[in-house]
Amino acid sequence: MLKRSLGEKVFNVFNMLIMCVFTFIILIPVIFVLRNSLELSETATASLKLWPEDFSLVFYGMMLQDSAIYRPLLNSVIVTVVGTPLTLLINSLGAYTMSKRDLPGRNFFAYYMVIIPMLIGGGTIPGFLLIRQLGMIDTLWALIIPGLASGWNMTIIRNYYWSIPAELTESARIDGAPELTIFVKIILPLSKPVLSALGLMAGIGYWNLFYAAMIYIRDPRKWTFPVKMRETIIKNEGNDKLWEELMIGMGLDPTELLINQQGLGGAMMIVSMIPILMVYPFLQKHFAGGIMVGSVKG
Amino acid sequence: MIYLMIVPGLILYYIFHYVTMPGIMIAFQEFTTGGFKYWCGFENFDKLFGLRAFWDAFRNTWVFIGLDYVFIRPSPIIFALCLNEIRVMWFKKTVQTISTLPNFLTWVVIGGIFIQLLSKSSGYVNSIIEALGGERIYFFGLPELFPWLLTGMRIWKGVGYSSIIYLAALGGVDPELYEASVIDGASRIQQTWHITLPGIKNTIVVLLVMSFSGIMGGLFEPVFVLTDGNSLLDTTSKVLDVYIYETGIRQGKFSMSTTTGLFNSIISTVLMLSANFASKYLTEDGRTII
Repeated sequence: MLKRSLGEKVFNVFNMLIMCVFTFIILIPVIFVLRNSLELSETATASLKLWPEDFSLVFYGMMLQDSAIYRPLLNSVIVTVVGTPLTLLINSLGAYTMSKRDLPGRNFFAYYMVIIPMLIGGGTIPGFLLIRQLGMIDTLWALIIPGLASGWNMTIIRNYYWSIPAELTESARIDGAPELTIFVKIILPLSKPVLSALGLMAGIGYWNLFYAAMIYIRDPRKWTFPVKMRETIIKNEGNDKLWEELMIGMGLDPTELLINQQGLGGAMMIVSMIPILMVYPFLQKHFAGGIMVGSVKG
Repeated sequence: MIYLMIVPGLILYYIFHYVTMPGIMIAFQEFTTGGFKYWCGFENFDKLFGLRAFWDAFRNTWVFIGLDYVFIRPSPIIFALCLNEIRVMWFKKTVQTISTLPNFLTWVVIGGIFIQLLSKSSGYVNSIIEALGGERIYFFGLPELFPWLLTGMRIWKGVGYSSIIYLAALGGVDPELYEASVIDGASRIQQTWHITLPGIKNTIVVLLVMSFSGIMGGLFEPVFVLTDGNSLLDTTSKVLDVYIYETGIRQGKFSMSTTTGLFNSIISTVLMLSANFASKYLTEDGRTII
């Protein structure tokens, strides 16, 4: 190892300091929102403390009581739980066909599912008209089905299949096993890393779904959680009358206490982050494997 | 049998990508919520180019694109360079773990976090400003500030995640080059300039070219989440993506919305193809990226 000069030491300390500051810039806003979600009193919100003065779980309780909130939450759970396995199934199957190097016409798939759709697309309105024609407006299917197949993900899975040594499937093939059996018994179990990585990404995509819900869903009972969350964050602040009603509903006296109007929005944001935090360690494992990095690179 | 496995994917692609493709012709039709009326050639384009609101959205979009390429895209490179210099592994890992996380949050949460953080009455930033003796600022009431705020938020969200690919490229730079340069008396800055940056140049060029395909997009969610319902910010925040949504889905002007969308994708396709063409002068082997 080469010796470090004084200048380098100073640089290193300075660099670590900047990184510390940066890390806090990421963390503090999140901690602040967590505090907001646990702080009952409005008067305490304008303080510099990052912990609640008037600790209360009332906003989390409100989410469980108000069907206008827990129904969108449930919708998001349904969309995620149904959409993720389906997208993995369809793309891992398709990728297997794409992985056959000697298959006649296999170049067609790349053009059909990656290149042409990248160059030409109908856009928002034709998409909306199609969903309307299919009768899927105001159904959760409109949020799940259109994005299920992805030529891009198929390509990533196919590349992974290619890295599986051919010897592993050859003996089964000689024994006359059908392709589907080879796929289910040999290929799929070996593809866990790529499928779990893409599954996590797809799951997060469904959980965070917002734009499609803004277009295809008009009925508030069919909203996804992010749509309801946005409405709450924007509309509830400064809406004193609504809060008065809510407080009376909760058995609190509006003349006695000014309730923290950001608390409910804060609690919803924290709830929305929890599943992502839960899968995050698994997600991180795949950064190192380069699977997602490869997916950016194409 | 083997072909059958891809059939579900083919059918879904046919329905959701190919059936809608001719829909782009709505840009050349008079098409209302009631359906097709008649063909009108380039009339929609004439109408669109005569609209003040369209040009405002066009200008705003380009302001955001400018900020994107000047500040947002270089930020993960700088971040990766700094992080790469850190030799204390647990510290490096912690910084990376925390900085990557925001990328996985929806813009609704990110927008919500900053709306609360910057709120005039109870936001943390304003509490600090007040504690320091300043006046509370209504951040989301200042249109000239909004592009900068959004730029900051986009860096906050993406810098950690986007730096992963650069860190991987940095790991691939030959360490012997650094050792040789130290013997030649190169300073840290000189090393960065003459070894590190050339080492990751290819990665930078590839990502730069790829980025042009989505240049006009990606703004809907952040802008909509932060500004819908807040007319104070209209002058700087209305971008083409939001314009497409508002004219099409809210006002039911299907023709105008589709025309704007087509205009948008023509620009990004042309930009990407030219960037791809230009890339052969930047890569070592003189070949284009795609």
